Amino acid sequence: MAAPGKATVLLKAVKKITVQFCPFESNVRSTREFLALVGSEKARSTNMNCEVMPVVKHDKSEPVVDVTYVDGERLVMKGAKLTCSEMLGAFQSRCKDKDQQAKAGAKK
Amino acid sequence: MAATLCMKLLRNQGWAPLVQSVRHGSKAVTRHRKPLHIIKQKLLAVTQYIPPARVVPPGAYPAENKCVQEDAGLSLLLKKDLKKVFEESKMVAVVQKNGSNAEDMMILKHRLCKHGIKVKFFPNQVTRSFLSDSVYCNMAPLFIGPTVLFVSKEPKVKEMLSALRASPQMTLLGACIDNTLLSAQGVVSYSKLPSVTVVQGELVSGLTMLTSRTASMLQHHPARLSALLRQYVKQQSPDDGAEAAPKAEAAT
Repeated sequence: MAAPGKATVLLKAVKKITVQFCPFESNVRSTREFLALVGSEKARSTNMNCEVMPVVKHDKSEPVVDVTYVDGERLVMKGAKLTCSEMLGAFQSRCKDKDQQAKAGAKK
Repeated sequence: MAATLCMKLLRNQGWAPLVQSVRHGSKAVTRHRKPLHIIKQKLLAVTQYIPPARVVPPGAYPAENKCVQEDAGLSLLLKKDLKKVFEESKMVAVVQKNGSNAEDMMILKHRLCKHGIKVKFFPNQVTRSFLSDSVYCNMAPLFIGPTVLFVSKEPKVKEMLSALRASPQMTLLGACIDNTLLSAQGVVSYSKLPSVTVVQGELVSGLTMLTSRTASMLQHHPARLSALLRQYVKQQSPDDGAEAAPKAEAAT
């Protein structure tokens, strides 16, 4: 499955991303691809304070992506039955909303 | 003007029209395919002939799906390389690389080279096809996305873990050490194990403890040994004290 291209990942409103998965399971492909996209140089350059923490487990647990935003909101995505593009779309839409809110607040 | 007046007059008096067009409008036989009326189209679609499915006897035609893809030359070379790597190295670790640039990779490679750990890249498809044939088939699900192999002849886990801790983008997924597949936590606990000589020494000392104690007791003065034995007998049988004590005394 090809990763969604030409989509710049904006991490400005994000404080921390924790990606937890068990690599020996078969349903972790989308989560790993999401991690590769979010942890890339481009994404990290948008916000150097954002931490991307991958956690590797071995207990047959489901892959989970936990995003903590700057204003305290949390986004939890269970990647077992989701595709990478779906996860990325949901994440990016929220990031954009937060970014616009922050910009509007700053302008005022 | 006169013609029109005449036409109107003629019509009013009930005369047949002077000019009648017989062949006019769309023709029936055309050079192109004439578009069908929608009702005719629908009718034809509904009443189309569907031939019955003919069952082919099983051995009549050769199977279509038997196209065995032969590996290209490059993948054969890479597989030979992989085989050599697996045979030579005792430790093969799989690490996911999330967006580290060339500088970081160079620094990491340099750090690992000092301890004799090599960094290898192989395409995932080739690795998977190689692993499915070989003994290490359970490692196949690890190879998804951007992965890098760390191979070394000696299992130097502590140094590898410290180097990985320094670069946050590399995630250790698993390792195959001494033909044993380990997860990330397994690798960490492996690094905390003492070395083989230390463990062997501990085992030997534990086994010989009993015999050494017996030997030391026998080497003491015999009176001490007899006193110990008497005490032991008294403890063992407090009810049959009378029978046991003469027996012990007869023995000493």
